[in-house]
Amino acid sequence: MDAVETETDTTRVAGILAEFETAETLKHASTGLREAGYKRFEAYSPFPVHGLYETMGRRRTILPLLVFGGGLAGCMIALLLQWWTNAIDYPYLISGKPFFSLPANIPITFELIILLGALSAFGGVMVLNNLPELFHPLFGCDKFRRATTDGFFIGVDIGDKKFDETETADLLRRLSATDVQIYHHPQTEQRIPGYIMAAAALIVALALLPPLGIALFRYAPKSQPRIHLVSDMDHQPKYLPQQFSPLFEDTRAMRPPVPGTVAVDAVIDDTHYLLGQVDGKPADTIPIAVTTETMRRGRERYDIFCATCHGLAGDGDGITSQLAFEREEPKWVKPLSYYNESVVSQPVGQIFQTISDGVRTMPGYKYQIPTEDRWAIVLYVRALQRSRSATIEDVPEELRKHLQSETAKNPNRAR
Amino acid sequence: MQKHPIPNIDDERTRLSSAATGLQVMLAIVGFSALLGALWLGWNNSDELRSFTASYLVSYMSFLGISLGGLFFAALQHLTRAGWSVTVRRTAEIISASMPCMVLLFLPILVPLLLGMTGPYYKWLDPELVAESSLLQWKKPYLNLPFFFARAAIYFLTWVLLARFYYKNSTRQDVEGGPELTRRMEKVAPVALILFGLTVTFAAFDWIMSLEPTWFSTIFGLYYFAGSVIAALAAMILFAIALQCRGYVAGAITVEHYHELGKLMLGFVIFWGYMAFSQYMLIWYANIPEESAWYLQRQSGSWMWVGLGLLFGHLILPFLGLLPRAVKRSKILLGAWAVWMLVIHWIDIYWLVMPTFAEDHLPFGAMDACCIIAIGSLMLAAIVKIARKCELIPTKDPRLEEALSFENF
Repeated sequence: MDAVETETDTTRVAGILAEFETAETLKHASTGLREAGYKRFEAYSPFPVHGLYETMGRRRTILPLLVFGGGLAGCMIALLLQWWTNAIDYPYLISGKPFFSLPANIPITFELIILLGALSAFGGVMVLNNLPELFHPLFGCDKFRRATTDGFFIGVDIGDKKFDETETADLLRRLSATDVQIYHHPQTEQRIPGYIMAAAALIVALALLPPLGIALFRYAPKSQPRIHLVSDMDHQPKYLPQQFSPLFEDTRAMRPPVPGTVAVDAVIDDTHYLLGQVDGKPADTIPIAVTTETMRRGRERYDIFCATCHGLAGDGDGITSQLAFEREEPKWVKPLSYYNESVVSQPVGQIFQTISDGVRTMPGYKYQIPTEDRWAIVLYVRALQRSRSATIEDVPEELRKHLQSETAKNPNRAR
Repeated sequence: MQKHPIPNIDDERTRLSSAATGLQVMLAIVGFSALLGALWLGWNNSDELRSFTASYLVSYMSFLGISLGGLFFAALQHLTRAGWSVTVRRTAEIISASMPCMVLLFLPILVPLLLGMTGPYYKWLDPELVAESSLLQWKKPYLNLPFFFARAAIYFLTWVLLARFYYKNSTRQDVEGGPELTRRMEKVAPVALILFGLTVTFAAFDWIMSLEPTWFSTIFGLYYFAGSVIAALAAMILFAIALQCRGYVAGAITVEHYHELGKLMLGFVIFWGYMAFSQYMLIWYANIPEESAWYLQRQSGSWMWVGLGLLFGHLILPFLGLLPRAVKRSKILLGAWAVWMLVIHWIDIYWLVMPTFAEDHLPFGAMDACCIIAIGSLMLAAIVKIARKCELIPTKDPRLEEALSFENF
């Protein structure tokens, strides 16, 4: 059949393009081609034609399976990742939850399912449609441009087993094609120009440099400090010893101590006042002025610091002690009563040392209570002890009568 | 250009025959006897109607969800100016038009509360508990009986008016035709859906969440809504299948519409899972006693199996089951999934409500069966009654043609 138009005879044939009047004849023709046993042909129309796909006899796309597989892979990868990172490689306890805990992992799993599902949909569409395809032999046909406006076409690929230039053309005409023509591969082989290839190679080579440089800097021994890309907290805006500071007149960043500062390990000269010792033995006298004021201060400090355990009257029944007994704390030792003979016989210096440094389970209080106040407490403790062994002679003359009349009224209160 | 020719619906049967009257009467009788049976059982239990209220509330909220979901569907189609759904929209309108019946069915909850015949099954009704808890005292301005009833009245008024609006205008169009009524329904749709969202949220708060008044979850309304839409879609699918089995609207509702309803149902299954998990994870992670107590109760003992059943039966199995295209295009398979979703919807509400009343066991007995039959039958009777009076598809909707020629790719 010579009626088939041929543009050139020298180029390779790529296939046959047939034009149709309407979408209906297009569907009819694709049905006819399918029934004639053709497989590698494609229909083109300016708008989606319902049912065309079915008339071409194509199998259903495997895209849904690809997407499902992608989603499943996302699920597995996310779970594996979270299990490995948080439960195995670097166990990290968060909010007391188990290291591998499904509810906490679901958001990331969900997101990765979506991500890989969407990516496989995108990649699947590209691959299944042979995209990206920069050039197709059909683009060489001027007529084919109408496929995007008002033309309906069928292109039969030369790769089809039943392809035959004359027979296929005849068949298409019988299937009411208005125009049939052979289309060719382009005469000149379409190659990517050399300068683009060179540029691409250069870009790839350049892209390799940063990782190479990083590897070099990380693993090669160097005398200089390494480049600090991530400095963490290595460099901080603070003064180190022996540095300058413009803030001070003498430009020293290190400041001398405030006048009157006493070093923790300073030499102690007044051992009586500071340690309660005279010649290495507990002192018998109180080195501060004994006044009513001191006594009041001692009582106040005692009520604050000592009474919680020792009790307000020094019987060892403070609220902490009571609570400890109530709870049956196994390690609690009841504070010794001040009226115990072993305490009454202690010199004041020893009581002072006990307050300062503690004894048995009692902690030392020298850091909480100033020296002056500790002596005041000693004074008050002595007064408490005295109160239980006092005689009528200890009461001032003018108050004796009053006390005696009170006792007569209420004999139970007399001791 | 069509895969299938556009269905010709000129000689379609779009009106229910008189046989439906018999069905309606029968359903009403069954429903009333079941309701009386449930009431009688509840009265004899002499537990201040506690068991009755629990069972009734579960079934009532389940079926109410179907009605609400229908209303949502109808309004949504107008909001989005959907063309595909015209032939199935009427089923949604009919289902939602049963709202007045749901108002009447609320009476067995309302009347005993009003008359003070019930125990304090809403814990905020218990004066001793309120006196002990400063939290409940603080919530008192919201959780008190008069305001509770006022809110219920507002909800029902909104729903009845909206359902009536869509049903009336849609059926009026069957007579008058023309696009004006469609335009009017489209204009109302945004407002309708905003009102719908607010009322459903607060109704779920009031009627289910306030059973445990110290527990709170802001997503709870959405959770109930998601389950309800699934139930409504399932009911619509079954309604359409039932009609077609009887030879009605044989051509108008095509496999494409079933496919689309199945897709929506699948979508809402995922949405329900999303809501349920969002609610669960935040509470589980924070692990604050006042929040996690609610889940703890629903995770311990036999209730754990119900919860796990929901995870699989309400999310994972339907998700995988509804995923294949072939399932959504098969009436039998889709219908089976619709039945499944309705059952699981009831179990979902059961799991929300019942642990408050029975902490350590799964109560199910004659009472629950009676309540399901009572509310289900009476609602169905109302639906048949409404369906008898109108065309089964919007015969003069301007988008009917589009719906008939609708195809999935």
